[in-house]
Amino acid sequence: MAKVLLIEDDSETAEEITAELADRGFEVEWAANGIDGLEKARSSRPDAMIVDRLLPGMDGLTVIEALRNEQVRTPVLVLSALGAVDDRVRGLRMGGDDYLTKPFAIVELVARIEALLRRPLESRETTLRVGPLELDLIERTAKRGDRAIDLLPREFRLLEYMMQRSDQLLTRAMLLEEVWNYKFVPATNLVDVHMGRLRHKVDGPDEAPMIHNVRGAGFILRAVP
Amino acid sequence: MRQPQFLRSNTFHWAFLVAAVFAVFIIVLFGFIYWKIDDYLTARSDRVITAERNGIADLSAERRLEAIEERLRQDPRGVQLAAIFGADGHRITGNIESLPPDLQVDASAQSADIVRIDRDHREHQTIRAIARRMRNGDVLVIGRNVDEAKEIALVVGQALALGLLPGFCLCLLAGVWLSVRAQRRVEEVNQRVRRIIAGDLSERLPARTVDEPFSRLAVIVNGMLDEMEAMIHALAGVGNDIAHDLRTPLTRARLTLERGRTNAATVEQLQAVADKAIAGIDQSLTIITALLRLAEIENSRRSAAFGSVALDEMLREVCDIYEPIAENKNIALHVRATRRLTVRGDRDLLIEAVANLVDNAIKFTPEGGKVDIELVRGNGETIVRVTDTGSGISEQEREAVLRRFYRSDKIRSTPGVGLGLNLVAAIVKLHGFRLAIRSGSGCRMEIICPDPQEA
Repeated sequence: MAKVLLIEDDSETAEEITAELADRGFEVEWAANGIDGLEKARSSRPDAMIVDRLLPGMDGLTVIEALRNEQVRTPVLVLSALGAVDDRVRGLRMGGDDYLTKPFAIVELVARIEALLRRPLESRETTLRVGPLELDLIERTAKRGDRAIDLLPREFRLLEYMMQRSDQLLTRAMLLEEVWNYKFVPATNLVDVHMGRLRHKVDGPDEAPMIHNVRGAGFILRAVP
Repeated sequence: MRQPQFLRSNTFHWAFLVAAVFAVFIIVLFGFIYWKIDDYLTARSDRVITAERNGIADLSAERRLEAIEERLRQDPRGVQLAAIFGADGHRITGNIESLPPDLQVDASAQSADIVRIDRDHREHQTIRAIARRMRNGDVLVIGRNVDEAKEIALVVGQALALGLLPGFCLCLLAGVWLSVRAQRRVEEVNQRVRRIIAGDLSERLPARTVDEPFSRLAVIVNGMLDEMEAMIHALAGVGNDIAHDLRTPLTRARLTLERGRTNAATVEQLQAVADKAIAGIDQSLTIITALLRLAEIENSRRSAAFGSVALDEMLREVCDIYEPIAENKNIALHVRATRRLTVRGDRDLLIEAVANLVDNAIKFTPEGGKVDIELVRGNGETIVRVTDTGSGISEQEREAVLRRFYRSDKIRSTPGVGLGLNLVAAIVKLHGFRLAIRSGSGCRMEIICPDPQEA
């Protein structure tokens, strides 16, 4: 069972997040301020942390810096107020951490925490396999069982990303950021259109669907239909 | 006691200082003139008495006495002095009582304190005098009273008093007048500014037609106030628009929840109600996010993070992303960027700007239409052009589309927040580029990037 430390000063928000994460099988510990949070991070060694940027006592980013200086590599999801996303926060993504702007959908938060906990390992594999799906990263070819799938480069990139994170909920925002390197949410439902095309190619008419749409949340690529 | 206000005014202080400096200057000037004249007069009388002494000394002893008496007789102004003293110091003749002890004999003319004796009175005087020892041992003293210099000093002093005092007073009066006038205007401005602060935005500073600094300043400030008034009105308008655009989805969500609470009988129905409500709230949040993002870009000074952005590559990327969407709508989306052109900028923001233009173009182009993304060079400028075959933007609407939340009546039914072009405009402005809306069949949006000026 993964242990998550939540550092958030608003008790109501904290309660909702704790309840939701507990429902999903996480063990959640809560700290209401930065100093307390830093102590708990040191003592209880969580698997992941959710840190509000603005905290009484000690700024969220300062907490993270302090931990990093102590060589604690726990992945962190920073909650940042809208309009306060500066380069320091953006930099988190480079370091393997992530950020989310408030207000956020709870599914988005859970998806990102799961993504942080299940970061794909650096592998030297040149072929990705998920169930009957096979992706050759050298030849840039894809096939499902014996059926070759003809993919455009952008579709290939999307499928590669999804196969690295199979059985994980991928939200639209995550896909935009990671696959298309989009730092904003476009007006049009870009992701759905792209996903629709990919699904059309991956899931043949008489095959069991592998790409699943999770209503109001995002998409999952499942190995076992 | 409270000082009159003008005494504390800067203008008055300056006037006073200038008047004082002026007065000192005049006094020095007059002093110099006096000194020069005095010098000249002394030199002249010195020459005269030296010549006389030489003349008299050359005479025989008897003639000398006569010459001295003659000289003293022909002196109506009583400025001539002459005497002969014996070798033992007693006076032989003349109107000087005794040989002045500090008078050097056989030297050039010098000042000496003597006592003048006339028939009926004696008087202490300071004169210019010269003395010479005769062959027989007598001492001849010739002198001249230089009281003229004192008279001149008096005249000079009077002139000074007559000229300087009124001048000084005039200066001070001018200072007082100027400072009082300035104070009055400041007070007037102050009152009007107070009214502006109190909320009367139509108030303006008084500007006279005369070309003077105060009026010019007032004109400048008034120009600023015009701009601010327009901005505040625009802002108020935006506020109303925001309120309206936020209220609509929130009202819907509220109605849904209210009705759902009463009517929903099953969990499924309640879930449907909740989903609808969440959708409404999400739409409000989208608007807030867009607004904050806009503010973030408009207020940002991110030019430090600017790098070289290859526009051709970027346009192909945007096209790649939007191709499926265009295809779904049966719109031909093409990118024409043959040359490799780069600009300095923030890649993420520029992608966002172009993506917004393409997004709009696809949205407002009917099925079967065409959207072209072009990269062209012209006249020291690099131009990103997005052309569509949609309904276009009429001349009257060009200004309006850049306003927040403006949505053409023609497209009221199309979903969207109505902030897209604002975002583009803000990004373009941040980069020092221009956004041009051109007519034609459909709409043509251009981001014009002038080449950086070589420093």
